[in-house]
Amino acid sequence: MRVIILIKKEFLQLFRDKILIIVLIYAFTVVIYTGGKGISLEVKRFPVIIQDQSKSSLSREFINKIRPPYFKILAFVDSDKEIVEWLDKGKASLVLVIPPDFERKVKKNNAKIQIIIDGTMSMTATIAISYLSNIAYGYSLEIVEDKFYKRPYKLPQIEDKVRLLFNPNNLSSWFMSLLELFNMITMVSLLLSSAALIREKEYGTIEQLLITPVKSWEVFLAKILPTVLTISTLSLFSLFFMVKGIFKVPVKGNIFLFYIVTCFYIFTMSSLGITIATFVNNLSQAMMVILVILVPMLMISGAWSPPEAMHPVIKCISFLSPMRYFLDFGYGVLLKGNGLYYVWKDIIGILLIGFSLLIISVFRFHQTFAK
Amino acid sequence: MLRLDIFKGIIKKEFKELVKDKLYLIFIFVVPVTVMVLLGYGLNLDVKHIPIAFLDYERSKLSRSYIDAYINSEYFSIYTLVQDYIEAENLIKSGKIRALIVIPSDFSRKLYKREKTEVQIFIDGTYPTRAEIIKGYVTTINMLFNQDLLKNKKIVNQIFSEPPIEVEIRAWYNPALESKNFIMPGMLVTTLCFYPVLLGCLIIVREKEFGSIFNYYVSPAKPWEIIFGKALPYIFVCFLTYLLLFLISVLIFKAKFIGNFFILSLSSILYLFCTVGLGIFISTITKTQITAMLLAFITTVIPTYLYSGFLYPVSSMELSGQIVSRFIPATYFLEVVRGIYLKGLPLTYFIKNILSLFVYASVIYAITILNFKKKI
Repeated sequence: MRVIILIKKEFLQLFRDKILIIVLIYAFTVVIYTGGKGISLEVKRFPVIIQDQSKSSLSREFINKIRPPYFKILAFVDSDKEIVEWLDKGKASLVLVIPPDFERKVKKNNAKIQIIIDGTMSMTATIAISYLSNIAYGYSLEIVEDKFYKRPYKLPQIEDKVRLLFNPNNLSSWFMSLLELFNMITMVSLLLSSAALIREKEYGTIEQLLITPVKSWEVFLAKILPTVLTISTLSLFSLFFMVKGIFKVPVKGNIFLFYIVTCFYIFTMSSLGITIATFVNNLSQAMMVILVILVPMLMISGAWSPPEAMHPVIKCISFLSPMRYFLDFGYGVLLKGNGLYYVWKDIIGILLIGFSLLIISVFRFHQTFAK
Repeated sequence: MLRLDIFKGIIKKEFKELVKDKLYLIFIFVVPVTVMVLLGYGLNLDVKHIPIAFLDYERSKLSRSYIDAYINSEYFSIYTLVQDYIEAENLIKSGKIRALIVIPSDFSRKLYKREKTEVQIFIDGTYPTRAEIIKGYVTTINMLFNQDLLKNKKIVNQIFSEPPIEVEIRAWYNPALESKNFIMPGMLVTTLCFYPVLLGCLIIVREKEFGSIFNYYVSPAKPWEIIFGKALPYIFVCFLTYLLLFLISVLIFKAKFIGNFFILSLSSILYLFCTVGLGIFISTITKTQITAMLLAFITTVIPTYLYSGFLYPVSSMELSGQIVSRFIPATYFLEVVRGIYLKGLPLTYFIKNILSLFVYASVIYAITILNFKKKI
């Protein structure tokens, strides 16, 4: 009974601030919308300029193959000075230089075209290079087939039929809308719970609570449960209306399983928030600690850097991040349609971290207050 | 009329409060450094050693050498040779492999007959960028193997020593295409974006919550004196952080730096004005610390990484993404920093960006001061 009244109090405090509610709704709608809609992970409209010294029909034919959506030809330039200027200013990222003797050399089988690429964004540059090399090779083959085999003839070639599983058209919106949902769940549950406890510490109302017969675990439960309820409801809403509704992500897995584990995960992140709150004195300090945990967690839990390429030490650290398990679980269930058989390890990981943190925070709480 | 004594007084008070909380002061410097170091080692975007499996229905010499072409590159490492689709599906669903290559049973027979043959390549598309890069690697390796086929006397009657067109690639500014050279300057910008905002977002709302804000309301200090008086100590602290982060990027991570340090520092002061200002702005529009903190985290931490052009160029974003990117000061500063770090450009190249930052700062302080005035 006591716990219910405590929970009621927490809910009241949570919803007292109107701006907070607006921010929460914003987080689970607008953020997910712009993330899914605005960010495109493919290389698109890659800005290209061309220096065509050959000005032959062959070179024009080749240039015709450099097309949107991957490339966007911005200009034809004449001098090297212009090339330097376009690249320095960052207006163009790729320069295609076709030498004057292109047509003659093609007939002799040793033409060279030069690509100058702005290596500043190495990842995007790698992708753009691979697109262009493929175009060039395809064109090479066409010439060979034309030259040596006038009649329709095929060269012995291996065609790579690439199929992307779970996201056949490689839509960024599927990945991004889900990622932003996972990000928001992580961030909001961590912040809300730790702030709720620290506020009591800062105002000194925690002492008032402690002289009442409530136990410390009851205080924690009352802090965690409203967070779990609020956020899990919001994320379910967001999953249906934003992820499924707007971005048409074909959610394959069991939504009930997703909901339950999301609740577990929010519990774990809230416990982390509570643990942080027991170690610091005020919200400014808490914010710094949250920052140092949250930012690496968001960036190295596997969404951006592939785990197989991680530094071994960082890889070990990443095993401590509950988000790592949640990302694995979330994408696994929602996109791949995985059942319990594939994700039980992730669930155990999430729960193990959550309960360990809760025990640490109760212990720490007893040390500092309940002496 | 500039009333220096009042202005100085506010700055002094704010400094004292900053220094009073020793733990906080330690955090202020330790936190961004830790974030930078952790991400510097952790955020590795070079996709390498991708676990991959093969389903080889032919098991001939040629199919074996096709498999070797993948394994011998540093991009892939073989996980296993699977026997059937069910086994492969299991591996890909549990995330143990990222790609599966299926070689048909008539693979070499068709090639020796000078026909086209098809290999099926399945890539885990959960993470689109990774899938895109894997696709790029696969097509390149396949292309090279095809080129070799045309040189193979047993297969073609006329030998093509080289394809008629060869591509010669030169990468400027970052010749080895190392991701650290674009991540490190980017990290300097992103960290200095969300971190000052977070420092600033509690400055005023804290006083609102505890009621000490009324001291300001009744004092003769003007709103702009209060706002700037509160901002300056934080800008100073953040500038020290900037120096630390710069040293880390150049000394520990050995990022390429060929530009002018003085110009970089000057423009970063302007940038810090923007970001601290954004924090104070959040502080004036919110009523409680929790809300301010939540708003600051949600509007800066992730958007800075996503929309500023840190990972993906702004040019390939859709309209809504490009609009969001205009609201983030990091977008303007990132071009400046990468230009100075990697291209060694002089200030004249960035006049537009510097001007944008200046306008950004003016607008954000104007709104903040107006907003603060209304309450009085």
